[in-house]
Amino acid sequence: MSAPPTAVLAQDALAQSIQGTIDVPPIQYAALSPIIIVFGVALAAVLIDAFASARTRRLLQPPLAAVGFAVAFVAVVLLHGRRQILAAGAVAIDSPTLFLEGAILLFAFLAVLLVAERRLDSSGGAIVASAAVTPGSPGATAARTSAAVQTEVYALMAFSVAGMLLFVSANTLLVMFVALEILSLPLYLLAGLARRRRLLSQEAAMKYFLLGAFSSAFFIYGLAFLYGYAGSVDLGRIADAAGTATANDTYLYLGMALLGIGLFFKIGAVPFHSWTPDVYQGSPTPITAFMAAGTKVAAFGALLRVFYVAFGGLRWDWRPTVWTIAIMTMVVGAVLALTQRDIKRMLAYSAIAHAGFLLTGLAAANSDGLRGSLFYLVAYGFTTIAAFGLITMVRTADGEASDLSQWQGLGRRSPVLAGIFAFLLLALAGIPLTSGFTGKFAVFQAAVAGNATPLVVVALVTSAIAAFFYVRVIVLMFFQEPVMDGPIVVTRPTLTYAAVGIGAIMTLLLGVAPQPLLDLAGTAATSGFVR
Amino acid sequence: MNAAILVQAAGEFTRTSGGEAATFWVLAPVAVLAALGMVLARSAVHGALLLVVNLFCLAVFYLLQDAPFLGFVQIIVYTGAIMVLFLFVLMLVGVDSADSLVETLRGQRMAAIVLGAGFAGLLVFPIGGVISGTKAAGLAAANNGGNIQAIARLLFTDYVFAFEIVSALLIIAAVGAMILAHRERAGGKITQKEMLRRRFAAGGPVTPVPGPGVYARPQAADVTPALPPASDDPGHPGDSGDSAGGDADSPHPVGAGKGAAR
Amino acid sequence: MNSFPWLTTLLVIPVVAAVVVLAVPRRFATLAKQITLVVTLVEFGLALLATIAYEPSRAGFQFAQKYSWIRQFGVSYSVGADGISLVLILLATLLVPVVVLASWDEVTGPAPAAAARAARAADPGGAAAGPAAGVVSRRSVPAFFALLLVLEAGMVGVFAATDVFLFYVFFEAMLIPMYFLIGSYGAVKEQAQRSYAAVKFLLYSLFGGLLMLAAVIGLYVVSADQLGTGTFDFATLRQLDITPGVQKLLFLGFFIAFAIKAPLFPFHTWLPDAGAQSPTGGAILLVGVLDKVGTFGLIRYCIPLFPKASSYFAPMVLALAVIGIFYGALLAIGQRDMKRLVAYTSLAHFGFIAMGTFALTSQGGTGAVLYMVNHGLSTGLLFLVVGFLVARRGSRDVSAYGGMARVTPVLAGVFLIAGLSSLALPGLNSFVSEFLVLVGTFTRYRALAIVATCGIVLAAVYILYLYQRTMTGPLVGEQARGVLDLSLREKIVVAPVVVLIIALGVYPKPLINIIRPTVTATFEDAGHTDPAPTIPVNASQAGGHS
Repeated sequence: MSAPPTAVLAQDALAQSIQGTIDVPPIQYAALSPIIIVFGVALAAVLIDAFASARTRRLLQPPLAAVGFAVAFVAVVLLHGRRQILAAGAVAIDSPTLFLEGAILLFAFLAVLLVAERRLDSSGGAIVASAAVTPGSPGATAARTSAAVQTEVYALMAFSVAGMLLFVSANTLLVMFVALEILSLPLYLLAGLARRRRLLSQEAAMKYFLLGAFSSAFFIYGLAFLYGYAGSVDLGRIADAAGTATANDTYLYLGMALLGIGLFFKIGAVPFHSWTPDVYQGSPTPITAFMAAGTKVAAFGALLRVFYVAFGGLRWDWRPTVWTIAIMTMVVGAVLALTQRDIKRMLAYSAIAHAGFLLTGLAAANSDGLRGSLFYLVAYGFTTIAAFGLITMVRTADGEASDLSQWQGLGRRSPVLAGIFAFLLLALAGIPLTSGFTGKFAVFQAAVAGNATPLVVVALVTSAIAAFFYVRVIVLMFFQEPVMDGPIVVTRPTLTYAAVGIGAIMTLLLGVAPQPLLDLAGTAATSGFVR
Repeated sequence: MNAAILVQAAGEFTRTSGGEAATFWVLAPVAVLAALGMVLARSAVHGALLLVVNLFCLAVFYLLQDAPFLGFVQIIVYTGAIMVLFLFVLMLVGVDSADSLVETLRGQRMAAIVLGAGFAGLLVFPIGGVISGTKAAGLAAANNGGNIQAIARLLFTDYVFAFEIVSALLIIAAVGAMILAHRERAGGKITQKEMLRRRFAAGGPVTPVPGPGVYARPQAADVTPALPPASDDPGHPGDSGDSAGGDADSPHPVGAGKGAAR
Repeated sequence: MNSFPWLTTLLVIPVVAAVVVLAVPRRFATLAKQITLVVTLVEFGLALLATIAYEPSRAGFQFAQKYSWIRQFGVSYSVGADGISLVLILLATLLVPVVVLASWDEVTGPAPAAAARAARAADPGGAAAGPAAGVVSRRSVPAFFALLLVLEAGMVGVFAATDVFLFYVFFEAMLIPMYFLIGSYGAVKEQAQRSYAAVKFLLYSLFGGLLMLAAVIGLYVVSADQLGTGTFDFATLRQLDITPGVQKLLFLGFFIAFAIKAPLFPFHTWLPDAGAQSPTGGAILLVGVLDKVGTFGLIRYCIPLFPKASSYFAPMVLALAVIGIFYGALLAIGQRDMKRLVAYTSLAHFGFIAMGTFALTSQGGTGAVLYMVNHGLSTGLLFLVVGFLVARRGSRDVSAYGGMARVTPVLAGVFLIAGLSSLALPGLNSFVSEFLVLVGTFTRYRALAIVATCGIVLAAVYILYLYQRTMTGPLVGEQARGVLDLSLREKIVVAPVVVLIIALGVYPKPLINIIRPTVTATFEDAGHTDPAPTIPVNASQAGGHS
């Protein structure tokens, strides 16, 4: 209806273009250093893969990735307190972003430890020797026991981490979309790199790719609508446009819904969750750990930014939807987890349920909710990495003992390992003195304060349901007699020990002394996202 | 909804001329049908060609929508380069490889159709309902000073960072292609010497098998010459290369094709 | 002496000891037992000293300590003791060394000890004893005692906490060691039932706990609304003025959690399973102390925090309590499994405790708290005796016994004392508390008190019927002749409990002196004053008279 503003804008721009010069915007590379460092690591890894010998690659790549992530983490720490918009509005740096970036880098570091583990069996670890070898072909058996490793995994992980860092810090939807692709494409490939059960792994990769591409399409569809509505892909500008009363908000709502689908897919919320169990099961377990922790942080971080910054003024419109999705996610995740026989699938459904718990923090739509979500993400990430890392250690002759029945009586034979696993499961169930409880308490308390009490009641009931399947595993491990041909627990995988140990210790620490991290998350949440 | 209101509402930048509308209504069904055909086509080559049609139609739409650069890039890059590569690959891999069409989940296809149609309705009706009253913002700003210049300016100002990081996607794609397709040889390259050694070590004939017709006994032109049935020909004991000839229980008529003997 | 951090010390010692005991290699199982015994005795001694140091006349929490724990949530590590919690801590610390000594041989491997002999006695063929013994040997003895110690710390913590969040943390954390005690160390041969009982116990409690968590969060949000910053401090929360509607919701959250824990009538089904499948020591602690957390919670949290709601819901609770008294008693009469029987008697006793609490009179409340202690002693002793019987014969079935008094006179005598205490014979401890509860109820709900009194008759039936079937009459089974009477260790185990049962029956004043001021203050704060006596009975002397 209102043509004049547009026309004025056009004339302005026309006048500018007649001059014929472009002012190149400054890009504050120093403030972008974490992302740039990780990109640098990725490129270096690609070059090493191209030129070094197989042995050198195996020796060089893991330390390169680990050190790279550590250095990037230091860069994040050095940037603390920065609050600005960089690179011509493309990237925002603020406390929540830095918090999320730090979390992603920590989880990536732990995941590298798991990926680099080569002492699990006589072969080269969890990653396939050569992904191009067709399963069932003559070379496949040799490839399974070969010491070779597809070392591109580190380059891909570094790219994915760079994408995650960018995803949480993107200030425009366009950059967010590119980041989404940068983080997803390597994950699609990584999902197909399991050394054992190649067909399952390839199926996982294929499903993840197809569904992921589909969700990306939704994302960009929504992006187009929002651009059509606001005339900009900048999150702040979208919020401004949404704040002014315009004649028709249909584009805005359509855009919001479609964008939401793309983001909800990534965090694995129902009804966009169907990829999660298959992909978690088929992927190499260290990669599953990486996905479960890193991707969840990244996707949830982006979701928080989009909903708090771009759609912050519309919270009365999106809250009912988020409520519905949160309830569905919690219920479906918890109930379907009950029926699982495979431990990785069970944890996948548990990841879905946890996405629902996280969404209650978003549904709270207040600063406490943001704090709770940030804390929960870190707490959950450590626990889940440790849990998946531990799964890699329990093995039979043909790989990980993924079937639940094989875990029977494990507590009698390796009490320490089973004890740690039981502790992690209790943390996932949210028993006090574990990080899981603190996280749940933080989001639930925010949700009650944000007038979402019914949601919290549903969340508590589903917590009780969820507790059942965690407890069932404990029953299996401790209260039942070991099976005859049960799994062997690998004894000296140093790197896995380190990753699992760090994860378990953090799970305990964040349960007993959550103060420092809550402080950090609290300051981040109060300062909020920059616009 | 009369035309006057529509035109007024559309504003100066989105005025639809008669020619534009005509082109749209001709090409839009073609594009949709081509897209459907691409999904439903049994032959991959047909699918690829239908995709070309679809992409071409879209390119024309872009041109109509004041986006000439995008339109031409669409034709040159997508329809031209990428689809041609696709076709190359399809031809190399073999054009007859068709997917199994058996439903693994019962009722899945029906559910997909229903839900897909529902989703389309969900999108089309609201948009259709408001399209007359709302106009998309930003076209003027995006296009000022000429389409190509505007894109260039945006790429080097607002979207310079996005433009830079897209390069990562290219590297990932290249690495991914390497992972999926590149296979390192297990024991290094096999030399000529090694190959000869293997041939002799295996025993059997070391010279090439004689061509068809060499051992033909009848000379009639209507009898197809064939390879010698391996084991019953004294000249070539144990032609290991021809496994089909191993069961020489019937010395079939000379010259008859192997296929005929079965 | 009051500046000494009694409660923190009581909390820390078992945790440290648990770590030490867990680190003991399995070979030195005896060392682990000895450490545990010494530590728990020291713990009891300290609790006793704390009780002496406690000044009943002073109002409020004593030995209080408070340190900020999670500032963002307003959570503090804050402990303190009043009359109610102190006696329960005393009970817990007393029962733990008893349990340690009682479990001395229960989890050892196939050593030529009583357990193996009992297994042979129970199963003459020896077919089942072989594999069972093999299973037993796998269970780690140090782990068992470490779990007991952790449980003790949890019990002390849950009674000592004066921060609602801290209370919740202990409330939930305590479940885990108990869960492992039932699941890992419970009835040897019944693997499936054992896991079932353990899971049922955990899930019931977790579910209740989560409801309570909802209420705790609600309380926090209410406090944040009223005070500006949220807090979990119990003393502060008591001062809140909560609207009746909210009070009712929050009350229900807490009440259901406690009713599951205690358990009260419709929430009780986990108790017989857990009681039957636990190892003897576990059952004693479960019914004797852990379940008291439920009744403790009712009087400590439900009534002071939600005074209006507790008046509103009191008739409902009382109805449940009376149903529980009769239902538990009737089921107990019909039980053939001795451990289940004892568990059902507890259901009836918890009915009395809840009734005394929700009569909302000071006599009733005092009686209820005293009842908690007495029930811990009498039921603890019952479980001990039943455990001894089961260890000798390998069966929990009543019909497998008969005439045991002839071969095991001492055991039979102890059984009789425990039983009579359980049915509240005058002169034994339970009589005092039951009398107080009934008097307290009578002043407010006359009819209810009269009905409940009939429950005592049923108690006499189930106890005496059980005694008659197992101890008197002809000896059942030839091998029963070889059964040994209580060993010295077992006599040492039961002696203090028996002494206390008699002593508290004759002279309960010290305990009542500690309990009574707190209970009176609690009820008066909540606005429940005792109704004026219509019959000239001097309430303050009721305890002394009995």
